[in-house]
Amino acid sequence: MTTHTTGTLEEWLAARLELLDAEKELTRRSDELARQRQALPWVRIDKAYRFETDAGGATLADLFQGRSQLLVYHFMFGPDYKVGCATCSSIADGFNGIAVHLENHDVALSVVSRAPLAKLQAFKRRMGWTFPWASSQGGDFNGDFNVSITESQQREGGVEYNYRREPAWQSRDDGGMANSMSGNPVADNAAMAGTDVATYIRERPGMSAFVREDGVIYHTYSTYARGLDSLWGMYPWLDRAPRGRNETGVWWRRHDEYDKA
Amino acid sequence: MKTSTPSQPKVASRDEWLAARKALLVKEKAMSRELDVLRAERRQLPWVRIEKPYVFEGPQGPCTLADLFRGRNQLAVYHFMLTPGSDHVCKGCSYIADHIDGARQHFEHADLAFAAISRAPLGQIEQVRRRMRWTFPWLSSNGTEFNYDFGVSFKPEDIAAGRASYNYGSQTIKSSEDMHGTSIFAKNERGEIFHSYSTYARGDEVLMGAFAWLDLAPKGRNETDGVMSWLRLHDEYEAD
Repeated sequence: MTTHTTGTLEEWLAARLELLDAEKELTRRSDELARQRQALPWVRIDKAYRFETDAGGATLADLFQGRSQLLVYHFMFGPDYKVGCATCSSIADGFNGIAVHLENHDVALSVVSRAPLAKLQAFKRRMGWTFPWASSQGGDFNGDFNVSITESQQREGGVEYNYRREPAWQSRDDGGMANSMSGNPVADNAAMAGTDVATYIRERPGMSAFVREDGVIYHTYSTYARGLDSLWGMYPWLDRAPRGRNETGVWWRRHDEYDKA
Repeated sequence: MKTSTPSQPKVASRDEWLAARKALLVKEKAMSRELDVLRAERRQLPWVRIEKPYVFEGPQGPCTLADLFRGRNQLAVYHFMLTPGSDHVCKGCSYIADHIDGARQHFEHADLAFAAISRAPLGQIEQVRRRMRWTFPWLSSNGTEFNYDFGVSFKPEDIAAGRASYNYGSQTIKSSEDMHGTSIFAKNERGEIFHSYSTYARGDEVLMGAFAWLDLAPKGRNETDGVMSWLRLHDEYEAD
């Protein structure tokens, strides 16, 4: 921290004003991007997806909880993970507790993972989270929205993640997330989930948006990989800090594991 | 709860949607890269040494700006609008505050400390904090120049004279003595403190994670009755 340029208030202000113009410009462009996102066509969903929830068996319509819009966070927690993904957990810490605002603005937020419900419930209790978390185990939901792949798909390749077709899987470092980092963030994440890399990356992070109108459900949007960046609550703060994200590897842990790190 | 009826976009086949989605993805990726550039530029801002010995009032007694770092090298201050003697609790600031405790569980492990600071006296702050169940440090700058120096509070005479400038001159404040903002400070190994960055107005919007979710929702922010008109304090929404 010692080599940073210092300046007078006037020098700082001149630089800050220049940056402010760039910030305002990107805020406006981000508004425009949101408008274009809302203009995407809708795709009717005809498949009868089934989920297990705290309230018992549920349909996709049930996840709306009476709202007209549903946002799903695809949390990486496969049936063979010991615990939920640590990276998804840090994202979940950001949205836990804010669902009340969305719910009062015609938007339901639900987390969906492929692990059996009992596993999700135990982990949710451990983390102290309150958002709804449904299990999609045994159904096509995760596969259809490109956040889970089967072992044979993994062997043979050809699945799409983040709108890109993937080759047959071989051990590699990036796995589609956090891939600007040195080290092996995917292996670190797999170890933290108590599983091997191949099993870990059969689940993928993402979010999908749905709308319900006249009893019909439509898929409107999905995003993956860095598309989730804006939902990751710790980053807007770090992005303003002098050192920025300042990361060379996976520094974050589940919130109750920092002391052990 | 209000349910709106937007004009429905056209219903398409999965293939048509995919083509439109991929075209949008190109723009989203370009935006991600531009944001990365902007963040790098932000880190290049010069630092300005803080010479004034600000003293705040916290639940553990008086503390200095240096104390707020709590062993870290960087400090984020959220300027929470809370006017002395007023029972008004700002909805927008509370919306941001609802996001802070979740986020700081992580960013405090990345060498960034956090404190909220308001001009109201500590007793008034504590009342709001307990009611809203927030756990972040929240201090009073009452009786100091801190809020004025960082452009979030305005003296009545400046408001009256039309010189209460907010957000680097983008807005002239006409009535509110307190506004919101975020300021960032850094500490070097000699313990000297520097101001590196402040943002106001829509600059605080990225701290409202629920907006980031709404920006991905089919109806967007859906604020037909005005910006944040739907928003309440989290304990003031009507039960379902």
